[in-house]
Amino acid sequence: MSERPSTPRRLAHAARLALLGAGALAISACAQDAPQDTWAPEGENAQTIHNLQWPIFLVAGIVGVIVMAVVLYAVIKFKDRGQPIPEQSHGNPIIEYTFIALPAAILAVIAGFTVNTIFDLAETQDTECVINVTGQQWWWEYDYPVAADGSICGYTPSNAAAVPLITSGQVIIPTDTKVLIRGTSRDVIHSFWIPKLNGKRDMVPGRVHTWRFHADGPGIYAGQCTEFCGLSHANMRMEMIALDPDDFQAWLDNQLEPYQSPEAGTLAAAGEVTYVSQCARCHQVDGLVDGNGDPIVSAPDQWVYSGAAPNLTNFMTRNTFAGASWDLLTPACRDEVWNASPEDFGAAYLKGVTPECLNEIDLKEWLRDAPAKKPMYADATALLETDGKVRGMPNLGLSEDQINELVAYLLERK
Amino acid sequence: MALIERPATRDGGLVPAVVTPSSSYGVFRRPVETKGWKSWLFTIDHKKLGIMYGVTAIFFFFLGGFEALLIRAQLATNEGTILSADKYNQMFTMHATTMVFLFVMPMAAAFANYFVPLQIGARDVAFPRINAFGFWCFLFGAIFINTSWFLGGAADGGWFMYAPNSSVPFSPTSGIDFWTLGLQITGIASLTGAINLIVTVINMRAPGMSLMKMPIFTWMILIVQFLLLFAIPVITVALFLLMFQRNFDATFFSVEAGADPLLWQHLFWIFGHPEVYILILPSFGIVSEVLPVFSKKPLFGYPLVVFSGAAIGFVGWGVWAHHMFASGLGPISVAVFSVATMAIAIPTGVKIVNWIMTMWGGKLVFTTAMLFAIGLIVQFTIGGLSGVTHAVAPSDTQQTDTYYIVAHFHYVLFGGAVLGIFSGLYYWWPKMFGKLLNETLGKWNFWLMIIGMNLTFGPMHIIGLQGQPRRMYQTTDARAGEGFFNLNFWNLVASIGSLILGIGAFLFVINVFYSHRKNGPAPLDPWDARSLEWMTASPPKEHNFDAIPTVHHLDEFFHRKYEDRGEGEHHEYHQVATAEDVLAEQEANADKHIHLPSPSYWPIVLAFGLPVMAYGVIYNIWLIVVGGAIVMAAMYGWGLEPATATPDDYDPPTPEGGAELEVAHG
Repeated sequence: MSERPSTPRRLAHAARLALLGAGALAISACAQDAPQDTWAPEGENAQTIHNLQWPIFLVAGIVGVIVMAVVLYAVIKFKDRGQPIPEQSHGNPIIEYTFIALPAAILAVIAGFTVNTIFDLAETQDTECVINVTGQQWWWEYDYPVAADGSICGYTPSNAAAVPLITSGQVIIPTDTKVLIRGTSRDVIHSFWIPKLNGKRDMVPGRVHTWRFHADGPGIYAGQCTEFCGLSHANMRMEMIALDPDDFQAWLDNQLEPYQSPEAGTLAAAGEVTYVSQCARCHQVDGLVDGNGDPIVSAPDQWVYSGAAPNLTNFMTRNTFAGASWDLLTPACRDEVWNASPEDFGAAYLKGVTPECLNEIDLKEWLRDAPAKKPMYADATALLETDGKVRGMPNLGLSEDQINELVAYLLERK
Repeated sequence: MALIERPATRDGGLVPAVVTPSSSYGVFRRPVETKGWKSWLFTIDHKKLGIMYGVTAIFFFFLGGFEALLIRAQLATNEGTILSADKYNQMFTMHATTMVFLFVMPMAAAFANYFVPLQIGARDVAFPRINAFGFWCFLFGAIFINTSWFLGGAADGGWFMYAPNSSVPFSPTSGIDFWTLGLQITGIASLTGAINLIVTVINMRAPGMSLMKMPIFTWMILIVQFLLLFAIPVITVALFLLMFQRNFDATFFSVEAGADPLLWQHLFWIFGHPEVYILILPSFGIVSEVLPVFSKKPLFGYPLVVFSGAAIGFVGWGVWAHHMFASGLGPISVAVFSVATMAIAIPTGVKIVNWIMTMWGGKLVFTTAMLFAIGLIVQFTIGGLSGVTHAVAPSDTQQTDTYYIVAHFHYVLFGGAVLGIFSGLYYWWPKMFGKLLNETLGKWNFWLMIIGMNLTFGPMHIIGLQGQPRRMYQTTDARAGEGFFNLNFWNLVASIGSLILGIGAFLFVINVFYSHRKNGPAPLDPWDARSLEWMTASPPKEHNFDAIPTVHHLDEFFHRKYEDRGEGEHHEYHQVATAEDVLAEQEANADKHIHLPSPSYWPIVLAFGLPVMAYGVIYNIWLIVVGGAIVMAAMYGWGLEPATATPDDYDPPTPEGGAELEVAHG
């Protein structure tokens, strides 16, 4: 009590800081630069959310500034300067009721708009394309079901009969299409989130949740699993790729092209053998056959606790791997795709990964010792509780030759 | 026990209730020490227990803070390597667990234990031995949870511990078992404390103190105890199910057996949301005491503050699913919980308005306690308003599980609960220890904490809105963006801020040691306070009041010191008495016979048996038998023990012992 520094001045400073913070918050509305910016909608669902949220941020900001200004004023004005002991007033009903009614009225308006939006975003009747999404530690699988009319996502394949398509890491949708994902999980709860296109929705084992997507234009929309899902939660990412209708058709046709074995005698041909002996237990490549011509069918349920491993049939048409955590493209090639103009994006993306553009460093590191790169439960001694089944990709102890062969083989998976 | 505090003589109407043996246990003596370590270990004095709660809680505050600093150190750069993914997951799980269960809750228990009896003019709580038992449960439970660090790793499922990620296949270490069992033990502390304080407040108020003349802090604590009374059983059920899931092959959360993982979420948040108010309301109570004292005005709209607290207590039960807007509940549930969540902003806003109006027209003195209280108003308002933005469910689907939420609840919990606790520490320190804390250091303490917290949690608004999820041990440069909103930059700012915050908070400890070395005894009434706890010595005597005061006003103490000499509408307050006068008058009319219950071995022994049993669940089933035997022995000892020590317990034996009359309770 002895010292009385100029507290109002300091509080004034604190209030200025707070105002600055509020200002920064307001500016973040205009930022375009972070790939997961929640204030930069690029599809109608995210836009619906944004239309609801920015006025509320504004109102909250104004209320906050008013409260701080009033506190500041009170602190300066009513500082003890030797004035007599104030009136011992116990309250003022008019002020009290006003400040119950006022926030109640503001909140009632907000509530009205909110409820409307909740039901708008839960709509499923207008769906034009259905994609199934399944989460598992620590990657996403997408499968494109075939509709009764033989179409996939509203598109009919040009050259082949439609069969269900299975891919992972990057999910491809046509632009300007109302996509409904149906999601679930094979192990723990994950959450599917592409901020520029919609909010997030948990994918819960034993339940199927639907969630709407729509992209105004072509491009890569980044996302991240947002429900804590264990050890490598940080390394469970995803990308939604929107392609113009023609490009989507091209992508679909390419995905359905039949398997072609590598030319005999090439490094890739050796890679096919290595693949069959080392990888095919868990990873499926559709069309791959054994010596008798029988299809080689992977059985990840015997080795992996979630019972699934990414399908590698068209691995090099995607440009990230391991839960979309690492690029398959070198930085320069990656930039060409990510920064392509809307007109050029489709062509750039559909090139896939060419030998010149392959990011060999990360891919080889991964093949050398996957759990060292991405924390996973892949050490057999730590797997007593899962009957020895791994959660994630184990270190296969591959030789450098085997790795080179596999890279050559994988490069042709497109 | 403890109802024996009214003045009475042998022929005063009360009859000896229990025929006691020559010494309480026949063989060995009962602890009757009033000094030395035994007087703390076996105490049942609410003030000593309050201090023990407080010291332990502040220790865990710094432990949790250390965990937070490690987290921020890891996140200072985008691919930090200070912690492994596994250690990082343990760290944020234990940071939250420590701060919620081992700091804020017991800190509120510390203040409640110490000040509720003083504020209502009682000599102890209703069940002093149960009070001691509660403290030991808390301490042993807390130690038990933290031993997991040395026994294979701490819990790694997040403090929300969502199923099925909390099942053994996904978390094979024993960390979650320690967490589950330890929180069941600390839960006993909360539950027994709740019953104890409710009974105390309902039954033991000084004559004349009607509920609406009760100090506001006691009111808030009373509401919190009802919340605890109903919330702790819910989490206990959930923890119990999880314990059986993990240790005894139950399938409550096994999806393959048909379980729905959302069951856990509902159980957790039906506890978890009232828990938020359990954390914040005590601090609301503290600043509602501090603001009037340093404004020289009564609390503005006292009845409304009471009712809004009660309203928060009720509505707080109807908003839990706002933690689950992204869980896939369906639009009807989401809409209902969204609107209910907005509704709870109204009583919360009422409190902000009432606090500001309390200062309005006052005579403000900016002590450290007052600064922390004003700090709470400003910082909590920011957290409250960001809370409204995600009460809006669609907007919450963008924000939930991002750093925006981390920013929100740290403004609410740090800016609310923690600043309130510090306000209370500075305000009540002279009462508890008879020494003022240094005000200069206090102001450094305050400003560094305010600057630190805004630098730490302010940028998290940006980080979250720019799309960085929570609970990631590393982030990637590829998702960081460029320019003003670059996430790496703001993460670094937050990490630097956390360091300032840590230094600021630690100044409190320095202040304590400095002040106790340098400062003389504090004045009896250093703040010109208003409520009953200041109408006694500092620190209070063991029996609190020489004479139980009769209460005529809300702010009784103020009205004993000041007199209105105005006429009609015109009021004019003049000091007519000092605190010393008030105390002297009390001493002159001291109650002739004051009886307090005696210390006891059994609370600590009984509580000690529980972690032994818990280790048994994890390591060896026979340990459960050992722990169970300890618990049973202690229960018998407790049950057969008279409320007060017999003459033979004293050395040399006293003619009266501690007991003269008793009304045995518990």
